[in-house]
Amino acid sequence: MINFKKLYKPALALSLLASLLGTPVQAHHSFAMYDMRNVKLFTGVVTRIDPAANHLAIFFAPMNEDRKNVLRDENGDPVIWSVEMQGSAAMARQGVSVNAFPQGTVFSVGLHPLRNGENSGSRQGGLFKCPERTPPAPGMHCDTVEGSIQIGDEALAEATLD
Amino acid sequence: MKFTPRHILTISQLALAGTAVLLAINIQAQSTAQIDFESVGRGWPLAADANEYEVTGATYRGGFFEPGVARTFLGGAMGGGAPEGIEPLERDLFTSDDFYADRDLWMDPRYYRCNSSAAIEDMWGANATGSEIMGPNPPATAPWGKCDNDYPRESIISPYGFESAQAHYEALMQETTERGGPTKHTYATVPGEWSGIYQHPVRTPNNQYWYKMRYNQVPTILSLLTDQYQEYFVQETFHHGNTNAAQWQSQYCWPEGFTRRFHEFAVWEHYIMVTPNMVQIMAGVARNFITNIHIGREFNTEGVVPRLGEDVPRWYGETVGFWEGDILITWTSNIQGWKNHSAPEHSNKMQTVEIYTPNRDEDGNFIGLNHEAIFYDEDVWVEPVRVVRNYVKQNEFDDADATPYVFVECVQTIFPIDGYATPVSPGEVIDYEIPDMYGRPWAEIWDKNFEQDMEKPEEEDIFSF
Repeated sequence: MINFKKLYKPALALSLLASLLGTPVQAHHSFAMYDMRNVKLFTGVVTRIDPAANHLAIFFAPMNEDRKNVLRDENGDPVIWSVEMQGSAAMARQGVSVNAFPQGTVFSVGLHPLRNGENSGSRQGGLFKCPERTPPAPGMHCDTVEGSIQIGDEALAEATLD
Repeated sequence: MKFTPRHILTISQLALAGTAVLLAINIQAQSTAQIDFESVGRGWPLAADANEYEVTGATYRGGFFEPGVARTFLGGAMGGGAPEGIEPLERDLFTSDDFYADRDLWMDPRYYRCNSSAAIEDMWGANATGSEIMGPNPPATAPWGKCDNDYPRESIISPYGFESAQAHYEALMQETTERGGPTKHTYATVPGEWSGIYQHPVRTPNNQYWYKMRYNQVPTILSLLTDQYQEYFVQETFHHGNTNAAQWQSQYCWPEGFTRRFHEFAVWEHYIMVTPNMVQIMAGVARNFITNIHIGREFNTEGVVPRLGEDVPRWYGETVGFWEGDILITWTSNIQGWKNHSAPEHSNKMQTVEIYTPNRDEDGNFIGLNHEAIFYDEDVWVEPVRVVRNYVKQNEFDDADATPYVFVECVQTIFPIDGYATPVSPGEVIDYEIPDMYGRPWAEIWDKNFEQDMEKPEEEDIFSF
């Protein structure tokens, strides 16, 4: 007679393993480094796309409130942030690539910031690219600019932090 | 003396460099591909054979490299003084404190003391050749090369007249079609004799070519480059010869980059495998160079550059190709821009058309491959350029003495400290700035450590609206 009690634990373990293996791999690192409860919203100027296989990252200088220039540090240098996304091939399928986002591109995105306060985050919500050399009106984002390009179906994230 | 692995490595590096010097003075004829008709875009003869040229820059021969031959200077003059009949410049690469300010001198060979870029790279001992050639007060006492030695520019430029790799490839495809091709090989007909191991190109006799950068005055190479890439090339040459702050990618385990497979020491033996719809070429020293040639596939040409996969630049690009009988014609695109060393950097627009043609002996036996490559990169080269070299087959894969391919995992032990590549021991703690791997991290190191007082050209302002 089969002892179901004896089989219960191994079966549970196998079941858990199978469910884990069946889960699509989304990342090559833990996202626990990011504050998932909060979102910062930026409109910025692209300084670099890093098309890494595991996670594409956009490095950018956040624009100031009047959208005529970028935020700068005490030395007058642009403040640089980065936002990481899916792998470069997946992002290219959505329209985010080195060629589609050249240096100087203005875009808007929400991100979960790093818990440690460094200038980096993980993308949250929609991403909008402004038309070339056409930033939004003061205080606004690219989703309000005529001719902007929406990446994906999501709306721009709602900010919970300044 | 007891030899440790480190000694053996050093000796092997010395031997390699010595072999290069030996081969550099090996005067024999180099052949381009032998084909029996005049093609629109392959197999044209070179206007000049690099094997018939003496190296340009100052170097040594003899000694360790040539047992029995006295170590002798090969060049124009040692100790910083100019060769007889040459009027030196008041300020040159070895005495300047700001190469940007010397732009008006860049096209004068005397600015480099008539040395090639590879010779300048070697001067402080970069390729284990010793640094005594720099004289008693380096860099001011750097030696002179031979001002009359220069491989002709017209032999470097592509003779075919195509403005793009796409136009070149399509013309070759049309030609092959008109000749009854492309050939659709099966496993029964594919030229399986290609599969095997090919000799290190630098160790291959009669295989000199200009892209080793040992046969040209620096201004000749500059004359092939756009203004921006002239600046990049002089920048590296300056830091090789003046500050002795080489930033080679392999020393930091950075990606080697596409053009390194054409240079001297980044690739050694080549391992080639042939199937009807894929030809794979593997080679490497610090990194693996794996060229997958997708036979019969076509590029997506809708983006900025043609590509096979997604719109993501790849470090070694993507390659398509077709057969005309036993000749393989290929096109590579979608390459990540990067650097070489002692050779120009390349941009994301870099593309190549490469043709592999069997070389046969007098009896028709397969002995290797002629490799003709045409570089297209409008951001870098003012005209397309051509590299021709030969691969000599040395082993079948199942030969008892064949060395299996070693898949390389580069483990970093050298880090930039104060701008100089420095070995760091386990347990040692250093300050380390993360490099921008999709920018020009080598140039950032130079900028922060050596160029703060130089007058650089202003960069474009992308932040003001």
